[in-house]
Amino acid sequence: MTTEETPPAVRMEGITKRFGDVVANDTVDFSLEKGSIHALLGENGSGKTTLMSVLYGLYEKNAGTIYVGGEPRTFESPRDAMDAGVGMIHQHFQLVETMTVLQNIILGHEPSDNGFVDTSTARKDIEEICSRYDFHVDKFLDTKIQDLDLGARQRVEIVKSLYRGADILILDEPTAVLTPQEIEDLLDLMEELADAGHSLIFITHKLGEALGAADEITVLRDGEAIGTVDAGETSEEELARMMVGREVQFDRPPRDPPKGDTVLDAEQLHVRGSRGLEQVSGVDLTVREGEILGVAGVQGNGQTEMVEALTGLRDIDSGSVRLNGETITDTNRRQRIDAGIAYIPEDRTTEGLVQDYTLVRNALLGNQTVEPFVDNRMIDWAAVHDHAGEIIQEYDVQPPTKSADAKSLSGGNQQKFIVGREIEHDPDVMIASHPTRGVDIGSIEFIHDRLLELRDAGMAILVVSSKLDEIQKLSDRIVVMYEGEFMDTVDPVETTEEELGMLMAGHDAGSGDNVPSGGVQL
Amino acid sequence: MLRASVIERLAIATASTALALLIGVSIVAAAGYDPVQFITSMIQGAIGGQSAIARTLRFSTLFILTGVAVAVAFRAGVFNIGVQGQFVVGGFATIMSIIWTAPLLPEGIIGGVGLLLIGFVAGACAGGAYGALPGALKAYADANVIITTIMLNFIATGVVGWLVQNPFRGEGNAAPNTERIPEYVSLPSIVFDSSGFSIIGLGIALATVAIIFVVMERSRFGYDMVTSGHQESAATYSGVGAKRTVVMTMALSGMVAGIAGAVFAIMIQGYYTDPSGIGTYGFDAIAVSLLAANNPIGIIPAGLLFGGLESAGSHIGIYTDVPVQLIDGVIGLVILFVAVPELFRMAAVRTGLGGER
Amino acid sequence: MSFAEYIKGNSGRVAGIVVLVAAAVLAAVAMDLPFLEIFTVGFVERSLQAATPIALTAIGGLYAEKSGVFNIGVEGFMIFGAAIAATMMWIISGGSPGQSDVWLAILASVLVSLAFAIVFAVLLIRYEADQIVAGLALWFIGLGFGPFMAVLVWDSRNSPSLESINDLTIPVLADIPVLGPIFFDTSPLVMFTAVLAVAAWKFLNDTRYGYWIQAAGENPEALDTAGISVKRVRYAAVIFSGVMAGLGGAVLLAQAGSFTGTGETMVSGRGWIGIVAYLFGNYNPLGAAVAALVFGGLDMLQIQLQTVGINVPNRLVNLFPYAGVILVLTIWGTTRTPSAVGEPYESEE
Repeated sequence: MTTEETPPAVRMEGITKRFGDVVANDTVDFSLEKGSIHALLGENGSGKTTLMSVLYGLYEKNAGTIYVGGEPRTFESPRDAMDAGVGMIHQHFQLVETMTVLQNIILGHEPSDNGFVDTSTARKDIEEICSRYDFHVDKFLDTKIQDLDLGARQRVEIVKSLYRGADILILDEPTAVLTPQEIEDLLDLMEELADAGHSLIFITHKLGEALGAADEITVLRDGEAIGTVDAGETSEEELARMMVGREVQFDRPPRDPPKGDTVLDAEQLHVRGSRGLEQVSGVDLTVREGEILGVAGVQGNGQTEMVEALTGLRDIDSGSVRLNGETITDTNRRQRIDAGIAYIPEDRTTEGLVQDYTLVRNALLGNQTVEPFVDNRMIDWAAVHDHAGEIIQEYDVQPPTKSADAKSLSGGNQQKFIVGREIEHDPDVMIASHPTRGVDIGSIEFIHDRLLELRDAGMAILVVSSKLDEIQKLSDRIVVMYEGEFMDTVDPVETTEEELGMLMAGHDAGSGDNVPSGGVQL
Repeated sequence: MLRASVIERLAIATASTALALLIGVSIVAAAGYDPVQFITSMIQGAIGGQSAIARTLRFSTLFILTGVAVAVAFRAGVFNIGVQGQFVVGGFATIMSIIWTAPLLPEGIIGGVGLLLIGFVAGACAGGAYGALPGALKAYADANVIITTIMLNFIATGVVGWLVQNPFRGEGNAAPNTERIPEYVSLPSIVFDSSGFSIIGLGIALATVAIIFVVMERSRFGYDMVTSGHQESAATYSGVGAKRTVVMTMALSGMVAGIAGAVFAIMIQGYYTDPSGIGTYGFDAIAVSLLAANNPIGIIPAGLLFGGLESAGSHIGIYTDVPVQLIDGVIGLVILFVAVPELFRMAAVRTGLGGER
Repeated sequence: MSFAEYIKGNSGRVAGIVVLVAAAVLAAVAMDLPFLEIFTVGFVERSLQAATPIALTAIGGLYAEKSGVFNIGVEGFMIFGAAIAATMMWIISGGSPGQSDVWLAILASVLVSLAFAIVFAVLLIRYEADQIVAGLALWFIGLGFGPFMAVLVWDSRNSPSLESINDLTIPVLADIPVLGPIFFDTSPLVMFTAVLAVAAWKFLNDTRYGYWIQAAGENPEALDTAGISVKRVRYAAVIFSGVMAGLGGAVLLAQAGSFTGTGETMVSGRGWIGIVAYLFGNYNPLGAAVAALVFGGLDMLQIQLQTVGINVPNRLVNLFPYAGVILVLTIWGTTRTPSAVGEPYESEE
């Protein structure tokens, strides 16, 4: 418990940070009590990493003040932050793989004797730090980083910050790459550090984790601080609601129940992620004609890998995928495009559009095997030109200039163009991954209306999103994905936020108690 | 490569060349030669009279072809530094294939045309294969393409050089040369009365530019290739198979280099010799392509410029006592300046000529 | 790293070398080669001499690449180094150079290389020149202006006979059988290079500056957040690489005793071989020196074989290093190039 006299370890007041038109942090207030563990919770794009990057001196804020230990400070670079006792452990470790643990810890602060590094002094200092906590890092000071697993690397990062004199530690998504056992060890470590007087902030999007590890939790959404709660006094449902939010209550339009044939189905899909860990663990799904299947869930539970597997961008370990009854499990991306799968990608800037290309050239992206644009392997640019014009007109792309570079358009307009291009494929099934992420309200409504139109016209649609209101508005059925598996399927009309929140946190619907869904409850 | 508008590119190209020439002239003056005489000699050497123009066009033909070979790869994001090796392998294959198949075909025009075709096909295939190799190593074994292509350049020069010295040395030749190809297999001079340049050779070069332009701008393969060079994740999203595309890009690049080798072998040489004595067309081609911002159409004026420079250099070497190596040095400077667009952008901003930063 | 660790970490490479050596031995036995007449003390001495310019260039080049900048212009630097040493020797001595003039020429060459290296480093780092293109450009500039200087001074691309460096004999040590003449009765430049290789290795692994160089090439962000200027480290490394390559050229000249500027010049690809040497040596100064020795040996092997009446085509033997690199790159993917090579580092947001 802090008394009135002890100032917070860190206080951030009215922090605003803009990147061009996008407001990443909007007058955010944040306060970290000394000796406490504080979770910064929010979805991707909510502004939490930006806020901490401001604190660590990586970004310059546009407005607001930062106080460390009661004193106002300005940080122009991480060095200033380090001098003030702030250390950051990034999601992507700042470690030199080919150098040893010892070398990495002392880098830039090497004790030296005429230029030659005094390794014995360094060793002693590190051992001293490690003996204070349950670290073990001093046991493998001469191992190269590349030979360490991710959990060990993270410890090295923490010792590095402590060696540089950090009182305040910021951890960015620290559990993203850890096994359940390693996560437990990390949480124990964090408690020890807090007990010894350090103040910790950790950034996460996993609400169970926040509840389990933190003393206080601040939720960010769309750049704003929604609120700060005491971990002991809140619940997962409340947190889920704060994170994912309810803005304007969109009316769910009435609709006939879908009665078409199955267009896309997958059986027992197992897919591995880029790091080799399994991300999709036995998923079955079906999408029928005239139906929107909504896959809800907090990001990072395998949705990305599942969508990549369905669209042909990632190999399937085991299981099968069928389109209109034909097995397409082993076909490649281009073949799936030809077969009739359209895809609105998660990341429009790297996947959906070539930023340096004009809209005309971008209109061909994904259409390289479609007549009349490509006939006999030669491109008919006039047809592509017209097509681009049609897309721009029908899908309200502003400014309506075909020769404009994609990167000059706002996020919403880029997205509308992509949506239009994919719809104009006239596909059998449309897969939309976070179709309205980072998009303005007007464009969101536009895209939603188009998807619903398609559904009424009989297309099979799969929507993946972490926005609950979007899922509820669009879907005929909702399934929640958690840790690579599908939880229960729910009816969008009858379900409640609480039920969805619980499913997203990994609890089976209908159970009153917190029943762990397997593994460590985090 | 250079993310700049057309005007900016043109300006950078002009500025680089002008600056390099300026430095060249200053060095000449500092070394005690007459700069004015030097400049006039250069102009004379490049375009002063029939034989000069023929010589310029001869060099330009080769620079255009090798330049296009480089452009194809660079535009697709693949650093093919091996055009010199692919050029050598292609030219050698051309000569040997003609020598070996000549006895099978009738003499005279018909045989000549047939052998020409065989020669060109052989050159293109050999060059293409020699380019596809490092492409495959990059795609499937993740081997750094810059290093492998540079190594392959040396290997090509060494192996062909040895082959020409020993197994394939023409009978009775004192120098390490192969046999000559038959007289009737040649590209006729037609316009200029000079050996070594045939307007048909230039025609082939221009035709290649046109074909490559069409491929890159109008074909699906070209679109896939260029998109891979711009943003590989978007290319993959749209169905482009990354590995296959790399190999095919390198193969195409090598093919064009092989055709350049064929033109060189037939139009200029008539036999094949030790590659270390042949000009560094493949390397200068990198400068040509960069000057043209890797655009096939732009390669034509860039190729002409370099052809003029090279021709001027020849003239200077013969008729003045300014060492011809200066021209190589100037070409090097042009490449250097092209590699530093930032330099010119900053200068432009300072002098208020333009630039955005 | 220790010898055992080196073998473990480079098992592929070591295996490859073992196979090659075994094949060579088998071939030699099959062809009934007179070993003792080939691998003489003189052969080793000559190999060391031939290796020296390559080793110097390789050590410099690996420092640059370790710090994240690929200096492929080393061939150009070597040409300049040789040409300047030759012309300076002539000018300083007024036409009849003696031993002291050789040393002065080397010094002059190093100083000029330093100037060029600074300019090159600025272009590469400050102006973010494309490293590949700028390096190639430097090669062409060297190919042009090197012989150009020769013609200016001697009216010919080749120099007349100048002075080559004399051997240095260290008393007592030189009398040790076999090792004595090889290491202690040879060109002082060889001794210097051997010492330098060890010093470079120690510097890279045991000093804080060495740490910074390694970090700058692998993860410049980590170095930046540790409070060290990545740019400054890279400047130092690139300038060092240019100076070393220039020194390599000067040493080449000092050993040969005259300048040859025809064709690819007397440097004849040694800069490229230097790059290959440090790749083979896995970015380790000692490894690079050993690799340079192997190449030096191959170079001199041709002469040895001729003296016993065997004519192996020199051109083909010379290609082995290049083929070897391709093999290694293929089998081992990227030869563990430092992760951040070629990317300019911006420390802003």
